[in-house]
Amino acid sequence: MKYYLLLSIFGVFANCERLHEQIYSSIKGGAACFRRLNGTHQAGCSSSDKGAVGVVQMISDITDAQWIAFNSSAGPYMAIVNTDIFKDVIEVLMGHPENVAGVVIFNNVTDSTFSFTQESRCPNEYSSGFENQCSSSSSFVWNDQGTGLLRRNIPFPIFYLPDSKMDQIEKIQECYLKFNLDKTNQKGRPLCSVQLNSFMFAAVNSEVCLRRSATSALLSPTKVCDPLGDNNVYYSLFPRPKEKETANKSIILVTARIDSASLFDGLSPGTASSVVGTVTFLTAAATLAKMIPVTEANLYDNNVLWTLFNGEAFDYIGSQRVAYDLKKGSWPYAPLKPSNIRLHVEIGQIGGAMTVHKNDNLWPLNVYAPNYSVYNTEVSEFVSMMLNNTMAVNYIVSDNLPPSSLHSFRKILKNVTSSGDLPELLIVDHDEIFTNLFYNSALDQSDKIGYFYHNISIGSDGTFLTTAELLLNGTMEEFEPQVKISRVATAFAKTLYQKVTGKAYYGNITASAHLVDEILYCLLMSQACRLLYAVDFAQSEGGEEKMPTRAPPLYVGVAPVENTAPTFAGHLLALLTGQQLNLNKTGCDAPPQPGYSKYWLRGWNHTGVCIQTTMNFSQALSPAFVITDYDMKSGDYSTWTESVWQTMWARVFVSAGGGGATVAVISGCIVTVVAALLTYWLKRHAAIAFAKAPAAVVVNEDAASGILRTVNC
Amino acid sequence: MTLAEFFGCSLLAFGTPLVMFALTIANDPVRIIIMIVAAFGWLLSFLLSSLIWYAVVPLRSYLAFGMVFAIIFQELFRYGMYLLLRRTEAGLKEISENQDIGSNKMEMAYVSGLGFGTMSGAFALVNVLADSAGPGTLGLQGGTEYFFVTSAAMTLCMILLNTFWSVIFFSGLDDKKYSKDPEKKLHNSSSYNCLRMINFVPNHLQELSKIHLNQ
Repeated sequence: MKYYLLLSIFGVFANCERLHEQIYSSIKGGAACFRRLNGTHQAGCSSSDKGAVGVVQMISDITDAQWIAFNSSAGPYMAIVNTDIFKDVIEVLMGHPENVAGVVIFNNVTDSTFSFTQESRCPNEYSSGFENQCSSSSSFVWNDQGTGLLRRNIPFPIFYLPDSKMDQIEKIQECYLKFNLDKTNQKGRPLCSVQLNSFMFAAVNSEVCLRRSATSALLSPTKVCDPLGDNNVYYSLFPRPKEKETANKSIILVTARIDSASLFDGLSPGTASSVVGTVTFLTAAATLAKMIPVTEANLYDNNVLWTLFNGEAFDYIGSQRVAYDLKKGSWPYAPLKPSNIRLHVEIGQIGGAMTVHKNDNLWPLNVYAPNYSVYNTEVSEFVSMMLNNTMAVNYIVSDNLPPSSLHSFRKILKNVTSSGDLPELLIVDHDEIFTNLFYNSALDQSDKIGYFYHNISIGSDGTFLTTAELLLNGTMEEFEPQVKISRVATAFAKTLYQKVTGKAYYGNITASAHLVDEILYCLLMSQACRLLYAVDFAQSEGGEEKMPTRAPPLYVGVAPVENTAPTFAGHLLALLTGQQLNLNKTGCDAPPQPGYSKYWLRGWNHTGVCIQTTMNFSQALSPAFVITDYDMKSGDYSTWTESVWQTMWARVFVSAGGGGATVAVISGCIVTVVAALLTYWLKRHAAIAFAKAPAAVVVNEDAASGILRTVNC
Repeated sequence: MTLAEFFGCSLLAFGTPLVMFALTIANDPVRIIIMIVAAFGWLLSFLLSSLIWYAVVPLRSYLAFGMVFAIIFQELFRYGMYLLLRRTEAGLKEISENQDIGSNKMEMAYVSGLGFGTMSGAFALVNVLADSAGPGTLGLQGGTEYFFVTSAAMTLCMILLNTFWSVIFFSGLDDKKYSKDPEKKLHNSSSYNCLRMINFVPNHLQELSKIHLNQ
């Protein structure tokens, strides 16, 4: 008996844990949907401040969602949904939010979804130019699969678990199968539940939350929301010193978008939505800089201004700011007149078609130009130059332009863009409907374009293998995105060469698929990459392995925080296109030549290089937050802000059926009343109950009868 | 539902001691003092046992070790309480309005026992009560939702047992019947405590060690 007791004690102690850990199991690695606000509405999700608790219901098809909405008894429920049926399920749940505590989305690779986009059917509909025909209510929409959740107020929290976190879903499923299977008989029984906490501090709209952020001086100063914003990156082929006439060369403005978005915190891969465009832009810029050395600046009357816009997913923050500053004559460093812009070429969303053409050599591209282009020779000339330079594009003339920064220019610089004084064209990979079915979503990942990293080392002087070499030695195949992008970038650079110099390019400089491979790896796979390490400011110590191994966030983020992506893109432009000066670190701090700036970067061989470049950053913060007394409801400029939150966590546990509570309350009351009566009776009749003489105490085996006789109160 | 559980469990565990306190102790200041001193005595004993548990690093994960010391110190302090009360009996009589105090030796034993028990009960249940406020209950890794109410009932038993043990212990010492009753009592005490500690000591000791570490 003794041994048994001892054994049982050790048995229990061996797996002893805090009680709390036996009750709750946290769900790790999830990304929560958060709240953003614009001038009139709030969008996104928030839980209550204690977190939303709901009974787990695994959703295997739409009927399960309908059951939650109409027939369930033990609600509210936490719907656990795979990405492939999320689009249908969320509409049912949002229609009946009273029975829904929240949603957990997971991405099971085996049942992968064919489309997943929480962007509206007409992205940035309300910031579009005046001839825009896309309307969410009409049948003609760009983003046909869009649910618009990114712009809608969702009345419950949503968490997303990527495919690498399927073990967490299995944990929930195990608990679900143990407790919740009997759907008809759930009330009053212990049920597997999930709690999601993603409480958002901001509410109502940007105006209200900014006021709340500013006016709590009396109490503790708390910030509840921040404007969205970051940096735009621009770089001109030739320097544009403020003082000189050369600044007035006519400009070919080449733009692309660098940001992406998604409903979930920290997950905006944006591969097909923006990265392919960004990479084409960077590679073409680097190639053109090699084709036309900066020393030839005086030979030509044209200049190319390359600009990467940030925050475009949220009503074109970056391009609105640039257009606004252009209108005011305060952008870029040496201000530019809109009339000096000879042509504006936007590299739009061009990654979607790669999904379809993953296994062949095709990459069909379309060029959109507004209606005036029929009479305007600039645009048609440029298109024919593209065709001459082996850039196969399909030319479409329409005032209904796909979502792109052109809309900002057409809206804000209306007088020059509507007349065609500022000719515009847009390169995209789709016609009436996006080919990218994952536009601005968490699933817009590198597999969608069929990207595989080749991990080829870079020469210590920054030489990359050429595309031809890579194809010849069999490292890469024609159908790979790296090769396709390098081809298009070469053709685009050649076209720009012809536009700048007036003659066709017959040299042998081409864009390198090797460089494309490296840039894609930095933007899509991991920040611990060769290029990011080479262009990082030389201050930070430690090798490549010190950098985080996840992709840099492409979501524009809040204005006070600088993101990796634009800094990386800017520094990479500097390193690839700038002139290397023979200076040490202190020498590099001296003021640069007019029209240039200097950067001390780590360089290809990691010893540090001083780069003189025309690259610069400009603020990508919406004019709405710059103009004093701006009317947030006017709809002129982007007014997006992001709510502040404290924590985001999720946990699974079993919620009580109420049996324990009932027993506790009933027995507690009975025991207390009985004890009160007994004590009172004993006190009243102490003389009878207890022998007065304490010396005569006799202790029985029965402790209870002992006290009756020995305690005298 | 979980809030009901919290209050139900609190009532089950501490309702009875509260009633006993209100009806039999609260009307005499000296009894209150004795009860508080006894409660403090139990705290000291627990502090000492936690120090030992904390100091012997290699045995820290074997909570049986700490548990044994907790029982030894608890009984030593009960004996200490006995000595203290017997020494101060005359003084207490002086200051008390109730001149009869101490005339019945079992009265003091009961009061100090209840102090001992209440404090040990509070320590045993406070963690569990905190978790009973929900929203979850046991079940994810085994266990039932009746765990909380059982814990509360066990705590009530423990409080009452401590009271009884003090009465028996004091009486045995008074009558100098060491060989028979205290031994029996000690045997009872340790085996019950063993059972009891299986559930709760781990929690307390870890909690206490955390407090120490934080300081």
